[in-house]
Amino acid sequence: MPELNDDEIRALARAVDLDIQDSDMEDVKHSLNAMLEAMDKVNLKGINSVEPLPIIRAGE
Amino acid sequence: MVFLSAADLASKIRGKQVSPVEVVKAYLDRINMVDVKLNAYITVLAEQALAAARVAETDITSGVNKGVLHGVPVGVKDQIHTKGILTSSASRIRADFVPDADATVVSGLKRSGAIILGKLNMTEFAMGDPITSAFGVTGNPWDPSRDPGTSSTGSGAATASFMCASSLGEDTGGSVRGPAANCGLVGIRPSWGRVSRYGVDGASWSLDTIGPISRTVKDCALMLGAIAGYDKKDQYTKDIPVPDYHSDLTGDVAGLKVGLIKEFLDTDVMGVTQAVRQSVLDATQLLASLGAEVEEVSLPLAPVAGVASRVISAVERSSLHPEWLRNRPDDLHRNTRVAFIAGELVPSQVYYKAQKLRTLVRRQVLEALGRFDVLAMPVASEPATTMDLRPGIRSKQEAFNALTEASYRGLFSMVSGPALSICCGFSVEGDRKLPVALQIAGRPFDETTVLNVAYAYEQNTNWHLERPPL
Repeated sequence: MPELNDDEIRALARAVDLDIQDSDMEDVKHSLNAMLEAMDKVNLKGINSVEPLPIIRAGE
Repeated sequence: MVFLSAADLASKIRGKQVSPVEVVKAYLDRINMVDVKLNAYITVLAEQALAAARVAETDITSGVNKGVLHGVPVGVKDQIHTKGILTSSASRIRADFVPDADATVVSGLKRSGAIILGKLNMTEFAMGDPITSAFGVTGNPWDPSRDPGTSSTGSGAATASFMCASSLGEDTGGSVRGPAANCGLVGIRPSWGRVSRYGVDGASWSLDTIGPISRTVKDCALMLGAIAGYDKKDQYTKDIPVPDYHSDLTGDVAGLKVGLIKEFLDTDVMGVTQAVRQSVLDATQLLASLGAEVEEVSLPLAPVAGVASRVISAVERSSLHPEWLRNRPDDLHRNTRVAFIAGELVPSQVYYKAQKLRTLVRRQVLEALGRFDVLAMPVASEPATTMDLRPGIRSKQEAFNALTEASYRGLFSMVSGPALSICCGFSVEGDRKLPVALQIAGRPFDETTVLNVAYAYEQNTNWHLERPPL
């Protein structure tokens, strides 16, 4: 997947009313792109039909 | 006196062989001598602790026994609320926050007779970076230039350096197990819902747990017993009986099935060092010699637990106080600010995918725990690393590596069952010996078995008797 560049990250930030200082931009880019790339690499068959379950169920 | 275990100390206090006032004074002397090297405490409660010790002494002299930790001085991580006492979460933003009530876990400790000796340093808002505390960096007692383990840095350092008898940490993605591992201690992340989180500044609502960091398994069992149980103030605590963890320690593991997770022993896949790998193999071999049935088990999804747990915690963490990022960005450490920003920008579908992954990872682990009583693996790929005091993330690869490493602890954070760290050897790095740790995880709400396996191991090794060179 293509990496997000500075402009794209600033656009995302603007959408949630967030300023990113210039000095933070490289770090944010590394951190965000690492998470997105790592998640993108996870391609499991049938994952779309899985229901997310953030917490443990009673009796589990 | 400070070198006694919490269990032995409690026993001697109960038997009137030792005075709680003498004990508190000894710990205060120890803090004065050692903390200048480690910076484990944010607040030392000298007067309050001495006053509590005098009350304990009077109680014990008159035959009143408040509980299993009566007169034992303990430390508490600074995100855990203490009535009338600064609770800063190691941030400038919370530098004036004084709660008007104790967290439920603090009430539990006090009910058991423990004396709160002070509030312990941590990483800012429990982020996973050792350099972010507004109160300065905490050193590892085995080598102050190395990471004591995040985010409960002070809990690990103070307990290992005998500046408290035991401590409480908070574990989101490994913040109890990591400090226990790096500092050569025993730390248990309890099942999610076993211990109340009421009055604890949250990091990630679906992952946070409060757990003890102790020098021995017995101490860990005593501490857990003091804080566990249903709490109507935390809707997610389970209303089920709390076992007597301490009395249930038999050390008998004959016939117990131990699954050794093979993905984390693969030097190519997960980057585990030979020293860590060998120590964990030796540890499970010892369990086998005690009668446990040890068998390798494959959990193919385990290596992705790190990224999924990090995405979940990044998003949940950043959602807690979005106003700080907008109104007081310069009061956050740069690394904390960057983590909060990245968390806010993760697309919703990616967060959702991470939660789906959590379901699958948990399913796979619980399936394995249907065949095995406990699962075993390292707590980390390597011993404590030297801290890089420069803020910033040097490259995407560095961020990527951190996600991979997070799988070691994130796996069981995702499952919601108990997971414990215990020292299983030392790795010699230059002129330093650094602790290496075994992780033992069990079925949800079966802390008893996890503690008992650790106890069996501890009773047949001497690692817990080693002391850092301070």
